[in-house]
Amino acid sequence: MEYLLHILVIAGIYIILTLSLNLIVGYTGLPALGHAAFSCVGAYVSSLLALNFGISPWIGLLIGACVAMLISIVVGFPSLRLKGDYIALATFGFGVIIYSVAKNWVSLTRGPMGLPGIPGFSIFGYQISEIWAYLILVIIFVIITIFIIGRIVNSPFGRILRSIREDEIASEALGKNTAKYKLLVFMIGAFFAGIGGSLYAHYITFIDPSSFTVMESITILLMVIFGGMGSISGSIVGAMILVILPELLRFLGMPSSIAAPMRQMIYGLLLVILMLKRPKGLLGRYRFI
Amino acid sequence: MILQLILNGIIAGSIYALVALGFTVIYRTVKFFNFAHGIVYTVGAYVAYSVLTLDFRQWTVDYVKWGVAILIGVIGVGVLGILIDRLVYFPLRKKKASNLIFLLASFGVFIFLQNLIQLIYGAQILTIRTGPVKEGHQLSLFGYDLNAIITNIQILILFVSLGVMVGLWVFIHKTKLGKAMRAVSDDSIAASVVGINPEKIITASFAIGSALAGAAGILISLETNIEPTMGFSAILKGIIASIIGGIGSIPGAMFGGFFLGIVENLGIWKIQAGWKDCISFVILIIFLLFRPYGILGTKIERETV
Repeated sequence: MEYLLHILVIAGIYIILTLSLNLIVGYTGLPALGHAAFSCVGAYVSSLLALNFGISPWIGLLIGACVAMLISIVVGFPSLRLKGDYIALATFGFGVIIYSVAKNWVSLTRGPMGLPGIPGFSIFGYQISEIWAYLILVIIFVIITIFIIGRIVNSPFGRILRSIREDEIASEALGKNTAKYKLLVFMIGAFFAGIGGSLYAHYITFIDPSSFTVMESITILLMVIFGGMGSISGSIVGAMILVILPELLRFLGMPSSIAAPMRQMIYGLLLVILMLKRPKGLLGRYRFI
Repeated sequence: MILQLILNGIIAGSIYALVALGFTVIYRTVKFFNFAHGIVYTVGAYVAYSVLTLDFRQWTVDYVKWGVAILIGVIGVGVLGILIDRLVYFPLRKKKASNLIFLLASFGVFIFLQNLIQLIYGAQILTIRTGPVKEGHQLSLFGYDLNAIITNIQILILFVSLGVMVGLWVFIHKTKLGKAMRAVSDDSIAASVVGINPEKIITASFAIGSALAGAAGILISLETNIEPTMGFSAILKGIIASIIGGIGSIPGAMFGGFFLGIVENLGIWKIQAGWKDCISFVILIIFLLFRPYGILGTKIERETV
C-alpha cells in the first residue's frame, strides 16, 4: 500500500512537470528539451534554503519556482532567435549546463554526493511525514496546476499561443509580439517545473544531480507526446501511464539492475513507435510541429 | 603544461572531428540531427571490445587482432547505421515527417540501444588491455624537452583520423558516388531528375557516416575506458563541432572538432575537468546566438537558420 501511494505521489509530480511542458511544447509549439533543468533549479534552491537558512519549505517552494522562472528567461532569450530543431538543441544545451553546474559546484550543491536530510512540509506545526498526507498535498498542487494551465490555454492569451504554433508569421502580422509571448510561456512553464522539483526534493528528502539529467527531460517530453500535444487530460493520462507502467516490471520480479535499463528501453521504443505511428499522441488534437 | 593541454586537445579533437564528420555526412543528405549517431559510436567501441576479449590462441600478434577488431567494428556499425535508417527513418521520410519528429525518433533509437548495451554488458566501465602500447614518448624538439607526453595509441588516433579525413575528402570530391552525394545534398529533387536515386545515396551516407562514428568509438576504446553512456557526450560534441564549423560543411566539421577539443582542454587548465561539458555547451549557445551558421558555414544554411 505504501508503495502504491509512493508511485502515485511520483506520478502526481510528473503530472505537474508534464502539464507545464505541454504548455511550452504542445500549445505553443516550442520544442523545449531541457525541462528537468528547471525542476533541478527549483529543487536545489528550496532544499538549500531549508538546509542552510532553515527557511520553511513553503516559502522555499515559491522562491525556488521564481528562481527557475528567472533562469528560464536566460534559456528563453536565445530560443527566441532560433527555429525548430535549433531551439531543441539550445534548450538541450541549457539542460546539460544546469546539470553540469549542479554536479560541479561542489561547495554549494555537494556535487554528486547530493543533499541529504531535506526537511518535509509542515502545516501549523504538524509535520507531513505520512505518504498519504503527502499524496493529498501533491494532489492539491496538481489541481492548482491543472486549474491555472487550463485557464491560461482557454484565455485570449492561450489563443495567441496556439496561433504562434500554427503560424508565427501570421500572428506577428496581426500585431502580436510573439517574442514576448514565447518568453512568458517559458517562464510559466519553468515556474511550475520549479514547483514540481521542489515537491520532489521535500518528499524524497534527498536530491542529487542524477535526478535531473537530460534523459529526464526527454522522459517528461515523452509523457507530453504520449498523452497528447496540447491536451491537459492527455498530459495527466500520459504521466500516469508512463510512471506506473515501468513499475509493473518490478512486480515481474526483475532486479533493479535489469528493471532500470528495461524501463528506459520501453521509453525509447515507445518514442520511436509514437513518432512512426501517432506523433500527436493518444489524446492529442494537434499535429506535431 | 600548456603544450600537453594543446596536445590532449588535438587528440580529443580528432575524435570529435571523426564523430562530427560522420554526423555531417549523414546530415548533408537527410538534413536532421541524427542523435542515434552517438549510439553507433558506442556500439563500435563495444564490438571492438568483444572481439578483442575473445581469446584465440593463434592471435598472438596484437596488430592482427586489432586489425580484425577494427574491421569487424567498422563494418558492423555501418550495417547498424543502414538498419536504423531503413527501420526508422525510411518510413518517416515516406510520411514527410518534420525535422523534429526525426530528431525525437533518433533520440528514441539512442535511448533504446544504449540501455540494450547496458543490459548486455552491464553499466560498469570496461577496459581493453592494450598493454605496453599505452607507454608514452617524451616529445622533444631539436633536443629541447617540450614537457609533453604522447602515447602510441594517441599517435595511432591522430594518424588514423587524419587519414580518414583525407580519404573522405578524396571520396567526396573525386569519386562518382561522392559527386552524387554532393548533388543530393545540394538539391535532392534536382538530383533525382538527373537519375540519381536519393534513397541509395542516403543508404550510402548512413553506411559511411556510421562507419566513421564506429571508427571513432573503436579508437577511443583503445585509449580510455568504455561505458554504455559514452555515446551521449560524443554525439553532443560532434553536433557542437559541426555547428561551430558550419553545419553540413565537411571541412567545417573537421575544423570544429579540433577547435572544440583544444578550447575544452585549454579551459580545464584553469578550472576543474568536470566543467568540460559546460564549456562546450556555452560555446554552442554563443554560436547559436551570434553565428548559427558557424565559421565555415554555407550560404544556404545562412538563409534557413
